[in-house]
Amino acid sequence: MRLPSLAIAALGAALVAGPTIGAGTARAQLKVVTSTTDLYDIAKAVGGEKITATHIGEGYQDPHFIEAKPSFVLQLRNADVWAFVGLDLEIGWMPLLLQGARNPKLQPGQPGYVDASRVISVLDVARGNVDRSQGDVHPLGNPHYWLDPENGRRIARLFQETFATLDPKNVSVYDANAKAFTQRLDAAERTWQADLAKIKRQPVVAWHTSWRYFAEYTGMNIVGFMEPKPGVPPSPAHLAGLIQTMKQAGAKVIIMEPFYDKKTADFVAGKTGAKVLVLAPSVGGAKGLDDYIRLMTSGIQQLAAAL
Amino acid sequence: MSRTSAHDARASGIRAMLWGAFVILVIASAPASAQRDTTRRDTTTKRTASDSARIADSIAVVRELERLRAEPRSRDPSRQQPAQGAPTNARLLPDISAVGDLVADLSPKGSTQEGGERFSVREVEVAIQAAVDPYFRGDVFFGISDVEKISIEQAYLTATSLPWGLEVRLGRYLMPVGKQNTTHRHDLHTVDYPYVIQRFLDPEGLKGTGIYASKIFAPFGFYQELVLTAVDRFGEPTEGLVTIEPVNKKLSGLGYSARLRNYWDLSQASNIELSFSAITGDREQPVLGGDPTLGTAARQSVFGTDFTYRWRPLQQGLYKSFILQAELLQQVNAKNPTLELPSGVPPDGLVYGGPTRNFTGGYAFARYQLTRRGYVGARFDSFQDEAAGGSATNAVSGYLEFFPSEFSKLMVGYERYAPAEGSTTNRILLQATFALGPHKPHPF
Repeated sequence: MRLPSLAIAALGAALVAGPTIGAGTARAQLKVVTSTTDLYDIAKAVGGEKITATHIGEGYQDPHFIEAKPSFVLQLRNADVWAFVGLDLEIGWMPLLLQGARNPKLQPGQPGYVDASRVISVLDVARGNVDRSQGDVHPLGNPHYWLDPENGRRIARLFQETFATLDPKNVSVYDANAKAFTQRLDAAERTWQADLAKIKRQPVVAWHTSWRYFAEYTGMNIVGFMEPKPGVPPSPAHLAGLIQTMKQAGAKVIIMEPFYDKKTADFVAGKTGAKVLVLAPSVGGAKGLDDYIRLMTSGIQQLAAAL
Repeated sequence: MSRTSAHDARASGIRAMLWGAFVILVIASAPASAQRDTTRRDTTTKRTASDSARIADSIAVVRELERLRAEPRSRDPSRQQPAQGAPTNARLLPDISAVGDLVADLSPKGSTQEGGERFSVREVEVAIQAAVDPYFRGDVFFGISDVEKISIEQAYLTATSLPWGLEVRLGRYLMPVGKQNTTHRHDLHTVDYPYVIQRFLDPEGLKGTGIYASKIFAPFGFYQELVLTAVDRFGEPTEGLVTIEPVNKKLSGLGYSARLRNYWDLSQASNIELSFSAITGDREQPVLGGDPTLGTAARQSVFGTDFTYRWRPLQQGLYKSFILQAELLQQVNAKNPTLELPSGVPPDGLVYGGPTRNFTGGYAFARYQLTRRGYVGARFDSFQDEAAGGSATNAVSGYLEFFPSEFSKLMVGYERYAPAEGSTTNRILLQATFALGPHKPHPF
């Protein structure tokens, strides 16, 4: 048998196998895949036992640079919901996964395609002309919005509406779970007030623009970034200027994510007397931070203690 | 089985395959069309899930806008209303991007580039990409170079609504044969394709025009993908050779390929891919002893396997990574092909001048990330050279890559090329690439 015949036979086998391999659509739970652990945790809080959820990125991983592994394609292949941060945060890998998954339920416009940014009041939307001389900019706005608890509530409501649409028989469960999540978050927020008072108006430096929403919520004053422009590693000239800025502003803390090079931050801290505070930007970003409320609580407590 | 009957049998099978592909496309459009009609009817009867979603979205938008109006923080001018309020691409323009590939050849004994340039704009690739309609996506890549002027590098229509996880493309695409051949040349971590790909497939990456069908599956718990293609012909026509009939006159003379990808996660940080490929088709080969332009068709096939190991720790992934990759290809040639001569040309004294033995070649490539933006890589090439009777040509090369950002790359390479016949050549190459336009997905 020559190759063309083999190819024809293989194509036929693949087509015949298709319905059986893709079977299993009858299910009791919605299959939810999220791009980040934060969306995963909120989805779990709202969906409870009525959904199964997995996430692509880990909390200690830079969400801009996740690899589009074929194993993720398998997760998405049979999913009912794909929830992502949006605002181009996942642009480096999401298109490959969605195209690879070939799942019509996850295509734009479908109820299972959930861009969480659409319910967010977005910061840093580009105004006027924007180009890459400004760094790896996100023209649609800053995508790190989950670090404001108000946005956590909005995401929960979005999941509630999405799950209720796709699984109407469990509407009451999703409503109750979303309400319970909001109440837990409200309760946690009341315990943060003393720490928030310490943080308010305190000058800090952040590595990346990922702490802009956190700053909006806590009132901390970001006087500079380790990155000269979004996504651009620090240069000696920029660091020299940043050290001067920190001294003038009295910044005592450098906030950075666990996936950046701490040596550079330590160098700046050594020149300014500031502390380097490695904060988890996402659920799972540090030991014990296995849900959204713990993540926010830990970030606020650690920052208050460092100031 | 005689040659004629074998041809007929293959031709009938191939016709069946092409009809099958046509049927798949019809099937693909059917459910989508049905869905649209159903939606229309349901506006007066009952609502579908997608209708409910749209209504829910509308309600959500209204609620959010009401909330935002009521919130003091929403008056902050740095904040914008939720993104769904206005489309980001109101005129439905396609994504348009360009990649420039600049090469300098500072080899001590003269340039080793095709046109002999020391400094060249090797290619500018312009891409236009967008969804065509609810059923198809379109991707067009033009290649512009001093040598080939403007050419259609790739242009394909991808069906996006097929059942059973199938993907079908129609048009021109990089042939899914081997690992590196599916990568655009400017995205390689070396200046050129490995020699075995250049010699056995095409110096600029083998492309084909035809139909492409792919299916993913995981019956054993790991990712597998089968890709089958039928293309107009295997490779570019051989310059200066004329055959009595086009090599693709019979369907059995077209190019056919198959690729089976197998992928495993070893851990969160490491994974391997082991894949197998094959391509076959008729190609022009020289006939010796007469008109030097006289050629005949002969079957040529390439079988290959490729292996890739990747390591990238999740937390330090910005700064550390490693890739080890190898491919082994074997070119299989017809042992005793029939000479197809024009009528009136006596066969006396004419002999087949193409290859009648098999050739094997491969490469191994490794790349280690030194810093956030810096990488070091090395490649070893070896292949049996047809021009030297099958003796081995070897090359070893090293590369330093620097990425100022995701959108630009600077590379310096040194290569020691030891041909089977002739003297060893030292090559010193510099490359700069840059990307303009929308952010593209990172190649994996």
